[in-house]
Amino acid sequence: MLKIENLHAEVDGKPILKGLSLSVNAGEVHAIMGPNGAGKSTLGYVLGGRPGYDVTEGSVTFDGVDLLDLDPHARAAAGLFLGFQYPVEIPGVSNVQFLRESLNSQRRARGETPLSGAEFLKLARAQAASLEMDAEMLKRPVNVGFSGGEKKRNEMVQMGILNPKFAVLDETDSGLDIDALRIVGEGINRIMRAPDKAVLLITHYQRLLDYVKPDAVHILADGRIVKTGGPELAHELEREGYAQVAA
Amino acid sequence: MRRWRPEPMSALTLPSPREEAWRWSDLDTLRAAADTTPAATGIDPAALFLDIPGARLLFVDGTFEPAHSRPGPVQLTALEMAGDHPLGQRAQGEGWVLRLDAAAASDPIQIVHLGTGGESHVPARIDLADDAVATVIETYAGRGWSNRLLHASLGKGARLQRAVRLLQDEGFVSIRDEAQIGEAASYVSIFLGAGGMGSRIDGFLRLDGIGAYAEMGGALLTRGEQKQEAAVAVHHAAIEGTSRQIWRAVAADASTASLAARAEVARHAQKTDGEQSLRGLLLKRTATVNLKPELEIFADDVKCAHGATVGELDAKALFYMQSRGIPEPQAKALLTHAFVADALDRIGDETVREAFAADAEKWLEAAL
Repeated sequence: MLKIENLHAEVDGKPILKGLSLSVNAGEVHAIMGPNGAGKSTLGYVLGGRPGYDVTEGSVTFDGVDLLDLDPHARAAAGLFLGFQYPVEIPGVSNVQFLRESLNSQRRARGETPLSGAEFLKLARAQAASLEMDAEMLKRPVNVGFSGGEKKRNEMVQMGILNPKFAVLDETDSGLDIDALRIVGEGINRIMRAPDKAVLLITHYQRLLDYVKPDAVHILADGRIVKTGGPELAHELEREGYAQVAA
Repeated sequence: MRRWRPEPMSALTLPSPREEAWRWSDLDTLRAAADTTPAATGIDPAALFLDIPGARLLFVDGTFEPAHSRPGPVQLTALEMAGDHPLGQRAQGEGWVLRLDAAAASDPIQIVHLGTGGESHVPARIDLADDAVATVIETYAGRGWSNRLLHASLGKGARLQRAVRLLQDEGFVSIRDEAQIGEAASYVSIFLGAGGMGSRIDGFLRLDGIGAYAEMGGALLTRGEQKQEAAVAVHHAAIEGTSRQIWRAVAADASTASLAARAEVARHAQKTDGEQSLRGLLLKRTATVNLKPELEIFADDVKCAHGATVGELDAKALFYMQSRGIPEPQAKALLTHAFVADALDRIGDETVREAFAADAEKWLEAAL
């Protein structure tokens, strides 16, 4: 479903990704772990198409399409979702307005009929409820005044509403307490565990992987995948640290 | 009807850009607008009225048009206005007067000013007796130089809600408001500059009675090489007054939007609660926003919050929205709309507020 080959990318002229290759098939969950500065978040932003994250070499194909050739909004319409490590606050724009515009922009791009206000609200309320988020929060400006945990939960509500084919989740577990971690983990499974979907989980810690069992774990160090293994690799990392395992 | 004609432009002394209060003003555009010849605009004046009940007045090039109007409580009459405002003082002669007492019905009053070219000057007076309530909505469309002067006086407990939209395609609109606000009276005047014309909005609101409320604010949206400007002041002359000056400026292309706001608190005007918020948004680095916040406070027991900032759209928020599937122009429009909403949300009437928001939306679609 997602195929990354020899990806090189730089930020402000500084090389961060240095020949990263990775392939994720439909129905799979892959985890990427790695020390600070390894390029984990850069990978997420490059896949999402953030300005300033320049690809200098390599390719990324998504369902056979050249992902890097698409504008960020077109990547979303093609079915890519990027869960942000630090979700952005947007004063003056309500969650409902933001998400309805997002969903309907995607639907229009795919040639589908936009949802009416009532249809959208029904969908949004159901997703908020299954992530135990107060429906009142949908009316509030996007992420403004939300705690770290609420922002992450809101990311998952967004993912549930947009229902993507492929999710790149950048440290979705950071800032969550134990209960919220469980709710978010269950949300990822519910929304994304399907034969025609796939997930790339970027994380520092093994704990989210207790809820979302990965099919493969990759260690990213200095801009490259240095080791790939099964779920046991995450436990090994937790015990022995990156320096030992990646050596 | 006898009409007072101002002196021709050649004889008009306009303020000099060397004067501090006029240094951002686009008087060249004003002069050029005044020199244009009236010609059909193709604008249907009926479409400029909002679909709400109440009185309607149409002025074409400053002349009242009875065929499109139902003036209700508004009287058409010749006015002699006092004052020495350089532009406002030219508005003499045929104009309109709204006098209401507490018993009067309070349906909104809509006034449309359609310009076809040349200069037009209309004076107006609003006198609200104790506890009277009025809503006045004004729309400017067409072209030419439209110059207006309003004197308002609010008795004890009276309330005036005014919303003004500047939608002329070209030319210049200048507005001078002077208001005296009595005890516990409320004067709220919100402006939207979303046309292609140059503009100068001038105001001086005087809080004369205890516990008076004065608000003058809005949003100026500029593009191309357009220049719009607001230069307003509130004067707290009594205790326990509240004032709000909430202005937003959005400048695209090589345009200029300027905001000068001044709050004065007299020595005895204790317990004043003032807020002044001037914020500018540059949609391009070639655009300009000028802000001039001023506070002059002589009383010692007052609260005056103030802020003045200019910035660009938040790149992080833009990418966040795009990553959810919203194309860049729409993402910019949503963020810009949110920016001006602070100012337009102050319009009390929902229909009017939505109409102004739709005008701002239309501007954004064209500018982004």
